[in-house]
Amino acid sequence: MPKTVIRAIALSLVATTALAEGTGKTLSFKACPIVRDTSTVPCWLAEHEGELYYLGIQTDLQGTFTPPYLGHQALVEGEVTGRRLCGGIVLEPVRASTLPELDSNCNAILPAEDRYQIDFNPRPPGPSVGRYQRPAGQRQRRAPLEVTARQEFQVQFEFDGRVKARNAGDLNRIFNYAQTAKASRISIVGRQGGALLSNGQRMDERPELAKIRAEEVAGLLRQAGLEVREWSVSWNPPAVPDGKEDWADRRVTVVVEQ
Amino acid sequence: MGCLLAVLSGAALAADPPAAGSSGRGAPWWSPGSGEVLPAAAAYPNDYGALGIVNTGGPVATQGHPFFEPLGKNGRACVTCHQPASAMSLSVAAVRAQWEATQGRDPLFAAIDGMNCPHLPAADPASHSLLLSRGLFRVFLPWPPRAADGSRIEPQFDLEVVRDPTGCNTHPEHGLHSANPQVSVYRRPRMAANLRYVTSARFGVGRFIGKNATPSAVDPLTNQPVNMNMMADAREPTLRTQAASAAATHLQRDDALTEAQLAAIQEFELQLYAAQDSHVGAGSLAEPGGPSGLGARAMARGEDGVLGNNDGSFVFPVEDVWRSLPRTGKPDVDAKNAFRESVTRGHDVFFFRTFWIKDATHINTVGMGNPLKRTCATCHGGHMTGMDSANGWMDLGTTNLPWAVEPPVSPWAQGKPELPLFKLTCKANAEPHAFLGRVVYTQDPGRALITGRCDDIGAIVIQQMRGLAARAPYMSNGSLATLREVVDFYDRRFNMKLTERERVDLTNFLSTL
Repeated sequence: MPKTVIRAIALSLVATTALAEGTGKTLSFKACPIVRDTSTVPCWLAEHEGELYYLGIQTDLQGTFTPPYLGHQALVEGEVTGRRLCGGIVLEPVRASTLPELDSNCNAILPAEDRYQIDFNPRPPGPSVGRYQRPAGQRQRRAPLEVTARQEFQVQFEFDGRVKARNAGDLNRIFNYAQTAKASRISIVGRQGGALLSNGQRMDERPELAKIRAEEVAGLLRQAGLEVREWSVSWNPPAVPDGKEDWADRRVTVVVEQ
Repeated sequence: MGCLLAVLSGAALAADPPAAGSSGRGAPWWSPGSGEVLPAAAAYPNDYGALGIVNTGGPVATQGHPFFEPLGKNGRACVTCHQPASAMSLSVAAVRAQWEATQGRDPLFAAIDGMNCPHLPAADPASHSLLLSRGLFRVFLPWPPRAADGSRIEPQFDLEVVRDPTGCNTHPEHGLHSANPQVSVYRRPRMAANLRYVTSARFGVGRFIGKNATPSAVDPLTNQPVNMNMMADAREPTLRTQAASAAATHLQRDDALTEAQLAAIQEFELQLYAAQDSHVGAGSLAEPGGPSGLGARAMARGEDGVLGNNDGSFVFPVEDVWRSLPRTGKPDVDAKNAFRESVTRGHDVFFFRTFWIKDATHINTVGMGNPLKRTCATCHGGHMTGMDSANGWMDLGTTNLPWAVEPPVSPWAQGKPELPLFKLTCKANAEPHAFLGRVVYTQDPGRALITGRCDDIGAIVIQQMRGLAARAPYMSNGSLATLREVVDFYDRRFNMKLTERERVDLTNFLSTL
């Protein structure tokens, strides 16, 4: 067997072992996001302590992964898997929060390389095809809302974030449900939580963000014309981050009651 | 004919864009109160061929019709700025022709907004320079902004006037620090045709705006959300409220339009369709067996509220009928066939040619990341119009620096800036503009003048892409004189690296819409 082949096998075994060792570990770090082009859709990566991690691919608004922005740093929180994609160790599940202030250092777009292929994307970079393709005249029908006495909704936020475009769907769902259910009471509880980074540093969200989030969600529902007899708007003190699913505390819980 | 055909690299033919647009001298001018009948279908010549207007309601007797009659103090009617020959918009060539024909005395040039600022001397071309050079009208908006109920909106940014070449934003009576504080920006009139598409609520309309999750505007008659795709800043929710507002401002009418007048205007606008019908290079755009998405009748037939950015319902359906055409040895036929092939290739550039869409708010900020590898049809995705599907304002760089067109600043520069420049500084408690930061320089803050939001700075509602050949110049601020300049602007803005052939093909395609 040629030496080069033996060396390649040995290296791949080392890499596989390293991947296996880290599997299941939660990582939380701040980094510049990196875009890698491919022959289909680009993928999103980030580097942490000399290792490249895969966050997700460009999809559509229906996609579960919300990619970050070049021009900004991102807070990445995800679980290490034993797989590599696009040259990076896959973090899954993963969340990337775009941090608000500009950072011109975050501007890397890597060119496509034949060895990095994304072949599972439902949404190509150009027009939609396949299951996303829908000829004119064929409209999707929404299933009728099922109304219960009490329904809970979660509105999730990015780190230090307030209501953004992605929350339009949440607010539409709450509004439509409350109207359909002829809700008599809405309870809105704001939460905030920092991030305990993998290097031991702690990032805190801005003060009073739980209050700001709760009041913003309530204000938007009211401005949109939602009429409910009883509104309860409150907020919790900041949760203490422990590096495990810290993102889950950055949310507003809305309970709609008939 | 101002349109020359040039042979480029083999068989590709390019429509040489006219220097200052089309449908000017020689095109019919529709004067308010003329009483003529608008036929059910008509063709209006322009430098690229002819624009078609189809009125699905049949001929309209314009005598007494509120769209065509002067309803205010200055003698204008809706038709003054929405001329059939200009695709129900107004080309700068038509403006200039009307200036020459009337020595500037047409109601079109009314001081209220047909002048750079009302305090300037009348009948002096310099007082109307923005209208004469770019087809721009003054749009004056209260500052700070007012909500629909008249309450004051606290803006997220401070607004300063950096440059005021018209003198209006610093004027003691009309300016930002006057007793009735106003911001004056300068914009092109939009098409008053194909409005069934523009106002459709069949796609992407909810109680909350997909761009930023704020509440949608509602129709005051029904309390239902509207698609907010009208006007450069979506400040009016319906055709009726737009007509009422335009009567008060552009027409200087003191009292409100009647319900009957509003209903007549709305009905007329919803039955009117416009698109280029014939082309000097491509011949008939609406002949049987041709591309199904071209021509005014195609507009009248099409389905509204459809996202066209997929291969089941294209934005502009052209199919493959012109993709590969025979050569006959007859120069005129071969030239036409070559041009038609170029149009098909131009469509493919529009629809399939990917590039990095980067740093554009309300496309890169809606949840798909920055940048986004996509095509022109991603933002221009509305079936048949090329508008965004709903709530279609974005900052594509047309008014915000560094991308907005500005003359070079140097001791040797000939051109002087014509448009105002504003400096907007986002307050500490507001999120900064996602890609320009806390301080943004802009010629027109766009939607932000209505909402006061930092993320709306420079966001302009995408216009429909129909009738382009009849209504140069382009962009809300008239900054691009020709379709080729439009293509070159986007190539620069998004570093598309278009080849010369792609630029020619895309320009040709746009000229057939």
